[in-house]
Amino acid sequence: MMLAAFAHPVFDSQRNFRELLQAMARPASPRAMPVVASAPAPILPATMAAVLTLCDADTTLWLQQPNDEVATHLRFHTGVRLTQSTMEADFALITDRAAMPPLTLFAHGELRYPDRSATLIVQVDGFTDNAGMRFSGPGIRDVEQLTIEGLPATFWQQRKAMQAQLPLGVDLIFIAGDRMVALPRTTRVLED
Amino acid sequence: MTSDYNFAFLDENTKRMLRRALLKAVALPGYQVPFGSREMPLPYGWGTGGIQLTAALLGPDDVLKVIDQGADDTTNAVNIRRFFARVTGVATTERTREASVIQTRHRIPETPLREDQILVFQVPEPEPLRTLEPREAETRTLHALADYGLMHVKLYEDIAQYGHIATSYDYPVLVDGRFLTSPSPIPKFDNPKLDRSPALMLFGAGREKRLYAIPPYTHVESLAFDDHPFEIQRWEQQCQLCGSGDSYLDEVVTDDRGSRLFVCSDTDYCGQRRAERAA
Amino acid sequence: MYVAVKGGEQAISRSLELLAEARRGDPSVPELSLEQIREQLRLGVARVMQEGSLYDEELAALAMRQAAGDMLEAIFLLRAYRTTLPHFGYTRPLDTNAMRVRRRVSGTFKDIPGGQVLGPTYDYTQRLLEFGNVASEPSTQSDAPMPDVMPRVLDLLDAEALIERADAGSDPEPVDLTREPMMFPADRATRLQNLARGDEGFLLGMAYSTQRGYAESHPFAGEIRMGEVDVVICPEELGFAIEIGSITLTECQMINQFHGGHGLAPQFTRGYGLSMGEGERKAMSMALVDRTLRCDELGEPSVAPAQNQEFVLSHSDSVEASGFVQHLKLPHYVDFQAELSLLRTLSKQHAQQHPGEEACAAETSS
Repeated sequence: MMLAAFAHPVFDSQRNFRELLQAMARPASPRAMPVVASAPAPILPATMAAVLTLCDADTTLWLQQPNDEVATHLRFHTGVRLTQSTMEADFALITDRAAMPPLTLFAHGELRYPDRSATLIVQVDGFTDNAGMRFSGPGIRDVEQLTIEGLPATFWQQRKAMQAQLPLGVDLIFIAGDRMVALPRTTRVLED
Repeated sequence: MTSDYNFAFLDENTKRMLRRALLKAVALPGYQVPFGSREMPLPYGWGTGGIQLTAALLGPDDVLKVIDQGADDTTNAVNIRRFFARVTGVATTERTREASVIQTRHRIPETPLREDQILVFQVPEPEPLRTLEPREAETRTLHALADYGLMHVKLYEDIAQYGHIATSYDYPVLVDGRFLTSPSPIPKFDNPKLDRSPALMLFGAGREKRLYAIPPYTHVESLAFDDHPFEIQRWEQQCQLCGSGDSYLDEVVTDDRGSRLFVCSDTDYCGQRRAERAA
Repeated sequence: MYVAVKGGEQAISRSLELLAEARRGDPSVPELSLEQIREQLRLGVARVMQEGSLYDEELAALAMRQAAGDMLEAIFLLRAYRTTLPHFGYTRPLDTNAMRVRRRVSGTFKDIPGGQVLGPTYDYTQRLLEFGNVASEPSTQSDAPMPDVMPRVLDLLDAEALIERADAGSDPEPVDLTREPMMFPADRATRLQNLARGDEGFLLGMAYSTQRGYAESHPFAGEIRMGEVDVVICPEELGFAIEIGSITLTECQMINQFHGGHGLAPQFTRGYGLSMGEGERKAMSMALVDRTLRCDELGEPSVAPAQNQEFVLSHSDSVEASGFVQHLKLPHYVDFQAELSLLRTLSKQHAQQHPGEEACAAETSS
């Protein structure tokens, strides 16, 4: 049987969007996804909530681990166009972070239109506040400290390389349980 | 023929389109994101960009404030507030402190904003280079190359000719050291409030179909030269209603013999101060 | 003591009452019915539908009545209503070859297969006001029935390879300008869409300028046809095409001289215009401007306003233009105050640097 989506699509999407917006505006600072939605494995309910909030027939989505149930569920509830090509994806769902494809495989935008770039939603193990890496940049008053658990070390090397191309780049939303953290392309990682 | 509109007027597809564009705008501070601006029931040039952004933001728990020229009671502000009260039923307020979303035309409130507030600007012309280069194809390229020489030359010529930078409102800013951005036609008096603001600031240009953002705590620099630092407007007068010496003042003509009166442009700020003094 | 002006809300509501009263006019005169507007002001209805981007005669008539005959306001009302309509999908391309023609004329050949058909046109009316009631006489049926399908005039030239192919260049899927912003440079499909929504007066002026030497267009009205065309959709869940109705369209195909160059042989080129309902002036203007905007593709020097696509496409829309021109009515106190204080500073400075001049000016003015 097909799982349900939001009980109140208009208001649930709105509440989630406002938190997603604040997450993107205040990077490296975890916040809760207000309304989560049932999701077939391997997609977490908070990830599904983000997809329901942002995706529709005007967007393309790339799934790292596609399966029929997920595809049917997403098509039915959002009408989103699934794509096999990472480069064509507006959104990408990374459900197996250890096998995450390199960031360079996703659209970074064009110099005249850097917004034509992918947003990656990455499921991770957890967040630890006030410990680990230090971040600064737009949206961060002084410095945010955060550990995103379960990311491969290569990820941070790739992201550092990506930052050399600003304003081109991809934006990331990490999901762990019902919490999320955004890392837009402009967030700088402070080296010790 | 139905009068049954969705919550906040826009359909959910349009809101999602706006929301996706807003997330990209926040991720690219000061960069103008093209968006599929819709025809709204208010005219282009009268705040349709701000209205679409507000419509994409609002939920039932929000408290909305709308100001035009700093005042809640100017006709266009009243009209936009009436529109949202009608299509969302959200609570509205004239108090800056009580609002969760503030839509504004031409001013930033004097009362400092907080982290839990969002300021939405109505923008007539989002492209700060437009008067210097009318072709969008060209201005896009200049932004891509971060080539803002045109603007520096313009400001420098002002200094050479007038001894001052002759831009008093819509004074261009550099956001996060990267994108040259129009702060909308706020007086340059308000420009310092853009820098490292605790509140998220969103900008919507409906007719020009562009939106952009300045995230909280983002460095926003008003263009200037070492020997001609950026300065804001100052008045010799104080507000004649509340006595404020540090707010933006409206000049009111009181008779036909040249008499003038200076009062706060921010009516809520002025009213609060008078209430405090009376208490 | 000064009291800040309050009462915007009451002012607006009183203004709305006055507007309703003014719109209705003398209540002893019967109100116009939508049927009357639709039937008797059909060219106005057509323009509102065309520039309002919504084919609905009744809504267009309602908009015209509500706008008291202000066409731009009616177009705006229809556009704003259109925003709220659910979007189901796109129709198949309309086949104007299969138009059930009611009018068809060509300025290029004296006689053409299918014939010249004047149809209902103001062209040969003598512009004399007809006082008194206009008695409607039943029209006489033509002896020869109209052929089902009329061949296109331009196909005759095509057979001789004297004119570029209809699909010259490329024909990419058009973007939907009601859902996506205009990007520059815009391809032809996008340009045509913008022109189709564009203000008739603006396009007419632009088209006229191309005839008066601001761009070289050398146009001939190859064919203008008006009639009914079926609208077909192909819903994904059905998998086959179904006809959902028919609409009236006016199509104009201009033929323009082209001397060759830019790797292209000398040949005639095309300009295209299409308008809902009977909108011949609009379709012809659109075709002239379309052809002129193809200057880059054809390697023509781009010097005239009508050849500048950013200029034409950014200023063609009446809803955008009307809103922005009229927004100057809104308060600009704050910016004006900023300019005022700047001007006072500059003027004081000027007076210091040029002592004497002020006195002179004062003398002349006194």
